[in-house]
Amino acid sequence: MTSRDQTDEKLERLVSQVLRDQPLRRAPASLENRVLGELAARARLPWWRRGVASWPAAVRIPVIAGCAICVPLVWIASLWLAARLVSITRSRMAGPLTTLRDAGQTFASLRAVTTHLIQSIPHEWLVGGIIASATVYAVLFALVAVGYSLLYPRPDYSKVHLT
Amino acid sequence: MRSYQDMVFSTAVRLTANPAQAEDISQEVFLRAYESFDNVRSSPKAGGWLKTVATNLTLNYLTRHRKRWRLFSEVFSDDSRDQDLESAADSAAAVFDTALTELEADERRERVEKALERLPEHQRVPLVLYHYEEMPYQDIADRLGVSLAKIKTDILRGRVAMAGLLAQSGLGAPDDRRRNPPATRGTQS
Repeated sequence: MTSRDQTDEKLERLVSQVLRDQPLRRAPASLENRVLGELAARARLPWWRRGVASWPAAVRIPVIAGCAICVPLVWIASLWLAARLVSITRSRMAGPLTTLRDAGQTFASLRAVTTHLIQSIPHEWLVGGIIASATVYAVLFALVAVGYSLLYPRPDYSKVHLT
Repeated sequence: MRSYQDMVFSTAVRLTANPAQAEDISQEVFLRAYESFDNVRSSPKAGGWLKTVATNLTLNYLTRHRKRWRLFSEVFSDDSRDQDLESAADSAAAVFDTALTELEADERRERVEKALERLPEHQRVPLVLYHYEEMPYQDIADRLGVSLAKIKTDILRGRVAMAGLLAQSGLGAPDDRRRNPPATRGTQS
């Protein structure tokens, strides 16, 4: 055992001895009156404001039996309420759901018409149309470029002096 | 009730260091005792029952401030045992060993009570549980939700701090008393 342990043990023993030799603290004189007053106040309470354990047996037994019956009734009522809530929600949501469904059907019809139109055009016509469109786009682009360069000549930067 | 009220009140006040709170707790203990009057009255262990209820109710009261208590414990308690604590433990032992025993019983009781009340809560509660309620370290740690090492350190620091408070109250270690002899009671102003 180290000297540190010996010191700790000695201190522990001395403190224990001093503290256990201490007499009890005297309780305040008001304590007994407070307890008796509180007990008297509780005794004055009507039986229904006290704990169930102190209720008269003629009341306690029917109350406990009633509670036991109420438990399944509350379960049944909760399930019935939940079912009612679901059906009411469904009926309330029927209008907006119908509108959404109609909109979806409209979009589906439009897509079907477009697909039908594209499929009804001959394949050669589509290729020719694409080539013709590209050619017209290229020709128009060349004409605009030539016209722009003729109408708006570029400035002669060689005549500009830097200051 | 009269036979046990001092014991119940002492148990509560030593833990709370607050006589008003201890009185509230004591009242609750006796109200519970009256609720279980038939069992308590016939039991030869009525005193033990009341003491246990008083301790539990007081600790429950303190547990409501548990977070704060734990915070203080974490902040002010240091796991390391430095040299200062070692030398302080030596001096503390001297205070309890010699100087305190020279006092009259009433004066000793008063000084010890005051020193205990002035200890910080994170030292006083485990110290009281260990020395008065004789709870093992591990049980105290479990009950207060603090690590075993911290409980041991808090209790050791509590003992040393208590000796320091006793010394501050004019009660020094024998060496100090020889160097600075206290004024005799007749000459104190």
